[in-house]
Amino acid sequence: MTEAIQNVANPQIEVKDLNLWYGEKQALKNINIRIPKNSVTAFIGPSGCGKSTFIRCLNRMNDLIKSCRIEGEVSIEGKDIYGPGVDVVDLRKQVGMVFQKPNPFPMSIYDNIAYGPRIHGVNKKDIEGVVEHALRSAALWDEISDRIRSPAFSLSGGQQQRLCIARTMAVKPEIILFDEPCSALDPISTAKIEELIMNLKKDYTIVIVTHNMQQAARISDYTAFFLMGELIEFGKTRQIFENPGEKSTEDYITGRFG
Amino acid sequence: MGLNAKTSEIIAFAFLTLAALTVAGFVLFILYYIVSNGYSAISIEFLTEMPRKMMTEGGIYPAIVGTVYLIIGSMLVALPMGILAAIYLTEYAGENRTTWAIEMAINNLAGTPSVVFGLFGLAMFVKYLGFGPSLLSASLTLALLIIPVIIRSSEEALLAVPPEYRESSLALGISKWQTIRHVVLPASIPGIVTGSILSIGRVAGETAPILLTGAAYFLPRLPDSVYSQFMALPCHLFVLATAGTNIAQTRPLQYGTALVLLMIVLAVNFVAVLVRRYYRQKLKI
Repeated sequence: MTEAIQNVANPQIEVKDLNLWYGEKQALKNINIRIPKNSVTAFIGPSGCGKSTFIRCLNRMNDLIKSCRIEGEVSIEGKDIYGPGVDVVDLRKQVGMVFQKPNPFPMSIYDNIAYGPRIHGVNKKDIEGVVEHALRSAALWDEISDRIRSPAFSLSGGQQQRLCIARTMAVKPEIILFDEPCSALDPISTAKIEELIMNLKKDYTIVIVTHNMQQAARISDYTAFFLMGELIEFGKTRQIFENPGEKSTEDYITGRFG
Repeated sequence: MGLNAKTSEIIAFAFLTLAALTVAGFVLFILYYIVSNGYSAISIEFLTEMPRKMMTEGGIYPAIVGTVYLIIGSMLVALPMGILAAIYLTEYAGENRTTWAIEMAINNLAGTPSVVFGLFGLAMFVKYLGFGPSLLSASLTLALLIIPVIIRSSEEALLAVPPEYRESSLALGISKWQTIRHVVLPASIPGIVTGSILSIGRVAGETAPILLTGAAYFLPRLPDSVYSQFMALPCHLFVLATAGTNIAQTRPLQYGTALVLLMIVLAVNFVAVLVRRYYRQKLKI
């Protein structure tokens, strides 16, 4: 593990000796990582390497899978999110997630974004402001401000994904997890999402799983390379891509497998 | 040597079409038969007046009202219970013995002959709980009869809601129950409505269970409380056709009653279809 990263002074996310099993099969082995605040961290690696499984540990989405068992510690802001007395619902307010396929609810654009704040008890008269702010932050406002009452499914795939990002931001998380957010999108939509993600790191800590190495290189500050359930290497993105410390990282990045 | 693909295709197509046409033919024939024999009996008087002269003259108003009350009463009980049970089974129940036992109970309930429900209603509601032969006893009995149907169709409707909706709602820090309440349930309403359509037809048409729990042979007034006895269309039809004072003379009344029963079921189904369409459009799915 690289010196620079181990010394991240105040990591927002700190994972110690994380092991995860699906039934008998171990999917993550001894993961240790410290993710700094207000940065973009990319998880890369071949299919089945555990990167998506790992990102879902950070907001406990794996709780939904019955056979899943976890050991180790995941701290966010110094607090173990798997510790006793942790409210998963509160955790997920703090750690938002955008999924692989754009998945708006079958409601209007407006209601999709208002949904979270409404349930979290935001004042009725403030909701409109929250919706507009979220849409502006997701760079969607200018395209759709005249039809926010129309169904979310009337948007293009890329717009739907930005809507999902806006929906996530509307509940004011500190961390946003992206699980291959562009894998179902065309190149132009992908470019817009990438630009958005780079802008978002001012306000949020971003973790992104991606299949696309160019994407990791373009948008991330830090890169973690996973292979067969292990974290092989983690460091500044430039260093990982230009001067990887491990042979397997180099092989993956140069396209020799994956 | 087997038939070649083209010939077997033609033969299969012919048989499948024949089967579909036969079914449709029977339905149309029944409709035609009832309408052609029954329409002459239909009049304002028939629909709005009490039976007279030992049910050989007059209308079937109390039976129409009774059937409508039965539909409303049993739905008020069965819909909430069925939907809540379906939510429990699809969203909360683990894979364990309890769940298995509940599923088995529902399956067996769905296959139980309706007269057995009638006997149970007689023992439980009429006698043990002391509701007497009444609208209440009959509605509860019919509710039990259709709850398995409503649970099954609601379960299917809930399972058809894409898991992504649940996931993305939970990821917003929204609790499981709120997710079900605000995302899953609204998205499954069209399916749940479709399921209840089927059960409304059954409530309107069942005879044995209500004969045992509250339907009157003859009662020339409307029920004035849930503890009243009542008349209902299927029982009235049964009485006129088998035990009436003058079976031959009342034949037009019998067909008329059947026609009205059919129309009520069709009308309720039609309303249910409109509700389903409204929600589908609202959800844009």
